[in-house]
Amino acid sequence: WKKEEFRTCHQTPFCKRARSRTSSTSTPLVATDVTISDGNLIAKLVAKSKQEETQQNTNPLLLSLSVYQNGVVRVTIDEDHSLNPPKSRFHVPDVVVSEFQSTKLWLQRVTQETLDGDDSPSSVVYVSDGFDAVLRHDPFEVFVRDKSNGNTRVVSMNSHGLFDFEQLKVKGEGDDWGESFRSHHDKRPYGPQSISFDVTFHGADFVYGIPEHATSLALKPTKGPGVEESEPYRLFNLDVFEYIHDSPFGLYGSVPFMLSHGKQRGSSGFFWLNAAEMQIDVLGSGWDAENGISKLPKNRVDTLWMSEAGVVDAFFFVGPTPKDVLKQYTSVTGMPAMPQLFSTAYHQCRWNYRDEEDVEHVDSKFDEFDIPYDVLWLDIEHTDGKKYFTWDNVLFPNPEEMQRKIAAKGRHMVTIVDPHIKRDNSFPLHKEATEKGYYVKDSSGNDYDGWCWPGSSSYLDMLSPEIRSWWGDKFSYQNYVGSTPSLYIWNDMNEPSVFNGPEVTMPRDALHIGGVEHREVHNAYGYYFHMATSEGLVKRGDGKDRPFVLSRALFAGTQRYGAIWTGDNTAEWDHLRVSVPMVLTLGLAGVSFSGADVGGFFGNPEPELLVRWYQLGAFYPFFRAHAHHDTKRREPWLFGERNTELIRDAIHVRYALLPYYYTLFREANTTGVPVMRPLWMEFPSEEATFSNDEAFMIGNSLLVQGIYTERAKQTSVYLPGKESWYDFRTGNVYKGEATHKLAVTEESIPVFMRAGTIITRKDRFRRSSTQMTNDPYTLVIALNSSQAAEGELYLDDGSSFNFLQGAYIHRRFIFKDGKLTSLDLAPASNGNARYPVNTVIERIILLGHASGSKNALVEPSNQKVDVELAPFWVQRKNSPAVMTIRKPNVRVTDDWTIKIL
Amino acid sequence: VPNDPFFGIAPQDEKYYKSSDVIRCKDGSGKFTRAQLNDDFCDCPDGTDEPGTSACPGGKFYCHNAGHVPTSLFSSRVNDGICDCCDGTDEYDGKVTCSNTCWEAGKVARDKLKKKIATYQDGVKLRKDEIEKAKSALDKDKAELLKLKKEESTLKEIVQQLKEHKEEIEKEEEKERLRKEKEEKEKKEAEEKANEEKSAATGEEARHTNEAGKHSDAKDYAAGETKYEQSDVGDSYDGATDSPSSEGSLLNEVEESVKGAEGEHAAKSETDLRVEEKKSSEEIINTGNDASENTEGLSKEELGQLVASRWTGQKGGKQSGEAEDAKKTEEQEDLTSESNNEEYEGYASETDDDSNRYDGEDETEDDFREEEMILMSSDVVATDNPSWLTKIQRTVRKLFKAVNFFETPLNQTDAARVRKEYDELSSKLSKLQSRVSSLTQKLKHDFGPESEFYSFYDRCFESKQNKYTYKVCPYDQASQEEGYSTTRLGRWDKFEDSYKVMAFSNGDRCWNGPDRSMKVRMRCGLKNEITDVDEPSRCEYVALLSTPALCKEEKLKELQHKLDSLNSQQPEKHDEL
Repeated sequence: WKKEEFRTCHQTPFCKRARSRTSSTSTPLVATDVTISDGNLIAKLVAKSKQEETQQNTNPLLLSLSVYQNGVVRVTIDEDHSLNPPKSRFHVPDVVVSEFQSTKLWLQRVTQETLDGDDSPSSVVYVSDGFDAVLRHDPFEVFVRDKSNGNTRVVSMNSHGLFDFEQLKVKGEGDDWGESFRSHHDKRPYGPQSISFDVTFHGADFVYGIPEHATSLALKPTKGPGVEESEPYRLFNLDVFEYIHDSPFGLYGSVPFMLSHGKQRGSSGFFWLNAAEMQIDVLGSGWDAENGISKLPKNRVDTLWMSEAGVVDAFFFVGPTPKDVLKQYTSVTGMPAMPQLFSTAYHQCRWNYRDEEDVEHVDSKFDEFDIPYDVLWLDIEHTDGKKYFTWDNVLFPNPEEMQRKIAAKGRHMVTIVDPHIKRDNSFPLHKEATEKGYYVKDSSGNDYDGWCWPGSSSYLDMLSPEIRSWWGDKFSYQNYVGSTPSLYIWNDMNEPSVFNGPEVTMPRDALHIGGVEHREVHNAYGYYFHMATSEGLVKRGDGKDRPFVLSRALFAGTQRYGAIWTGDNTAEWDHLRVSVPMVLTLGLAGVSFSGADVGGFFGNPEPELLVRWYQLGAFYPFFRAHAHHDTKRREPWLFGERNTELIRDAIHVRYALLPYYYTLFREANTTGVPVMRPLWMEFPSEEATFSNDEAFMIGNSLLVQGIYTERAKQTSVYLPGKESWYDFRTGNVYKGEATHKLAVTEESIPVFMRAGTIITRKDRFRRSSTQMTNDPYTLVIALNSSQAAEGELYLDDGSSFNFLQGAYIHRRFIFKDGKLTSLDLAPASNGNARYPVNTVIERIILLGHASGSKNALVEPSNQKVDVELAPFWVQRKNSPAVMTIRKPNVRVTDDWTIKIL
Repeated sequence: VPNDPFFGIAPQDEKYYKSSDVIRCKDGSGKFTRAQLNDDFCDCPDGTDEPGTSACPGGKFYCHNAGHVPTSLFSSRVNDGICDCCDGTDEYDGKVTCSNTCWEAGKVARDKLKKKIATYQDGVKLRKDEIEKAKSALDKDKAELLKLKKEESTLKEIVQQLKEHKEEIEKEEEKERLRKEKEEKEKKEAEEKANEEKSAATGEEARHTNEAGKHSDAKDYAAGETKYEQSDVGDSYDGATDSPSSEGSLLNEVEESVKGAEGEHAAKSETDLRVEEKKSSEEIINTGNDASENTEGLSKEELGQLVASRWTGQKGGKQSGEAEDAKKTEEQEDLTSESNNEEYEGYASETDDDSNRYDGEDETEDDFREEEMILMSSDVVATDNPSWLTKIQRTVRKLFKAVNFFETPLNQTDAARVRKEYDELSSKLSKLQSRVSSLTQKLKHDFGPESEFYSFYDRCFESKQNKYTYKVCPYDQASQEEGYSTTRLGRWDKFEDSYKVMAFSNGDRCWNGPDRSMKVRMRCGLKNEITDVDEPSRCEYVALLSTPALCKEEKLKELQHKLDSLNSQQPEKHDEL
């Protein structure tokens, strides 16, 4: 990690200024001229005292507050355009989904109310039956309050008076706003334009979210009494070489969305739609006393948000459960896309599979060792001189044939396409982009010329819809010579990474379409690139094939376009450990489809670390092994028979659980709730889980505890909830609401299935998920203390958009009173399309059922089937025997019941 | 579910399944009824009950593949929509139709096998010849070694005798010298006595000694001188090379000055740090120098290349347009500069040593051979055909007789003769010894169970791939050459995988990676020939060497047997073809 190459808050003037500001040193604002207009509450914010008006920055600001269904409040604050500021400030387009607008509640009236202890009135508007939004006029404050709970605040802005808005100025004689960092100079033609304010989460014990950082799940305070010198959490998309594992330092992506949770109140959330550099302090309790503020109740978390540019476009989410907040947040930024089934399986990657022979060899080795995999990846070396969309014609002379061979086994390939375009006049893409003026410009208006893999490179201006559309067309089979329908795309380096730019990225004074400065759009650059690529793949497939695009950079809304991985990690136990909070945090920010490089990108993992990483990584929503080109080969069969067996078993577990994962991806797709969840999302009232980031939930059923140390002999696992848990390997029962000391074996990491849930497995393994389509299911029923359980299964064709027209199967399985029932969950009005399958359930495993039954009766067919003791996992040697209904062979599409006799 | 209940079972296994109605799982985990055999539900975790379906992940499916080779598949391949067996029997659920391609595939395989057998047939003969040659050569080597060792001990004795005589001569000479010195001194003293300015001269001498003490340790110097005077000529020579005191101190000085410079550097970077702190506290955003990697003052292009090099391990400086070329050369440069910076002394001296040693050895051997030839030829000339050694013995004996050691003063000619003889013979001895040691080293090597790799000794196999020349020298090293630069891919380590692989390890260090290594996989061929070199993992090379040494008779029999069984399995309708 090259620490000195990156700016600290102290070296960043806006951050330094905002961080040192206190309530007494900031200019208090008051809200005036409050009215309702176009269904919004609008107001002006003016400086409180007359004297201040003689100073700069005292034009009134315009505030607009609007309310949306399901408990979302949006507040925007910008300069008054009628006063002709030198430039209009940047509002981030294309992040808020269009459907969100249709959920707007048109405000009809505003109530005036004087809050306890205030002299002047506040304006109150209705949000929902339980909540109001309040604009307090003097001092200016915005908050959402809980009517059912004595009108207590839920989330508030400017409760501590730290709001500050630097207005644009016209450059006067002698004004020099330039800034230098190392050898780089930023002209800053509009001077300081930062915004900062405090946000308070009431009734909260912890705050979470704001990825991407390599740090704990529950965000540690960065400022306040008892906090050692710490940087704020930085949101600035950067390509960080060899990042360290415990730091608030900004990485590849930024989602300015924070979520709170507390035993008392539950969850709430706050999202600031702003793509400029942001720094966020979590203030440790007691910071307020230091600042002479102490008028708010305890049990709250205060935070300070600082951004270099843009406007205030803030969203308040009332919760009250963590899943509600996710639903509210994704109603604004969009639901996670439904992935292709194959992409939820195992991916094999390396920088680089060198040539066609290598590809064929690796592919055949998986078959030789009977290890399934679905996708083989090609990194930058497959191209002709790092010109994307081309092939090195010595190493890859017949790319189509190569892909066809892989596709013949139902597998897919991925090639890398990065945003830097080689400045090579013989490269048609560069020529065309230059002629059309599609590149980002430098501060003097010339095509920006930076350095990346190909050497001298330029960067397409993905902020422009026209350029995105043009880019998307490059993925057509005709344009991307050598591509086939089984080829998908990987977007790397889209922070953007610029090797010779300030902080290894693009200069902030570079110019985008419409005169937008790069500083204003920086954190969303990779998002637009990801969007353009993803939409290009949709176009390529005539709108019939779901895209798969992995991106490294991300922003709010990324979940609509594809998967994310946590970038260039290292083959160390600490990095295995931190991958869990990192992936959990991405999930909390809506980006459910994410994972870390299994094995660690840099360095050579010891076989034990590699095996543990596979055992954990098999549960990441996105499951891919990857390695730097300086590392030794580490395909699963290279570490001796025993390790091959262990890795194969880990991968098999993932393939067995694909039906469960796919069902969870659908849940994410419809509710925003992530596949991989912190424990407190499932057990919101259990304080013991609030800061646990060693264990996590997959859906509501499986609890996974990683093993993060070498030669671990035992581990402690806290199992939440009153119901018990079943060891997912042995079927042994463990009590809930207890910490268990468990012996650790090399066979697997601890995984538990929650009593009262049902999951679906597929216990036959094929070369890839493609061949598993018609394979029968296994149902695993984990009975709770009332001998009952429930679970769901979602399936569709795994690749098209027909599910949007109703071509899917969605079942609910309920076990109660000794009877298993399968119910249809698909709404009747869902459309005419159908997904026809004959797939049956071949095995039903009952955990926690009293033994003694010999038969079960299937209805309506009225068939008797055997009940016997059979292995919990048929592919594992010496797997414990559990109660099993043998060959019920009921179809998943049908309604039926099975009664234990 | 297959129609035939015994589907997917290998012929040799049929009895196991047909002998009873209740069948045991092969792993002993349980049993199942005939009705449960191939009923598409897994009852034995090892797959015993489902040889013909995909129900057991651990199972195996047997395809007969008439006309080709029977194969055993993982059950995961049964009815997966992909034709795996050439007879198509693994796909029977009607979702795909597989045509029977066994005859065509079998024919191709048989032809290939026939070619292979032909190669083996010739190869086996070549191998036998090689082994024969190796055996006689080895015997010759061993005999030579034995002979050389004998000669060595005899010669050693002679040299020893010569040495003793020489020492005696020198003792006498020394006595003579001392005597003369004494005479001189007495003469001088007498003269000095006559001289009246005696005391002044002594004072001057003392001052001189003091001055000398300032520069070096006068006492040691004097002691050394004494020793020099006392010891014989040979020792004194050794002494001179062992302790070149002036040179030593020079080295120390250099070292010290280097240390001094380092100290200065450290001090300087500390200052930089201080400056940096100061700067940042004043909130000047431009931070100071990076101690490890100063990126200030680089051109945009250089900076880009430098940052890129963190991931790629390449140093900047060249257009990456010519990617590959530039990359490799730069790697080389990196290597050199790395070793220069980090382990300059060790690396350089090691290389020097190595080359000296190798050169030395070669030279010695060549010299020795040459001389041996001369000696041999002179032997041939001699009438009674005595060995060169006997001749030497005779000469030396004659010499001893001729020289009168008790004559005082010694006859100068005699002394010179002894000395000359001693010098010549001791150099001969050292050459002989080095030959003995190199032959011993050679014979220590593992030439394979039948010495089939004997001919690899002192040989190198080369292969040119693009701009690189790969050189594999068994029992020595493997290298990659490009123009004048050579990268060592590994030093000889051992045979692996039952003499099918030659392993070379501990080659040159890779930037940011492991030490280079190479495995040379050998296969039967009629010529010793490197056919392929590859780097499947970074800095781990793999080469293919075809060689008659691998054309084993057992393997030939195995292949022939395979061909016979293939032919016997051909469907009848194709017999005439």
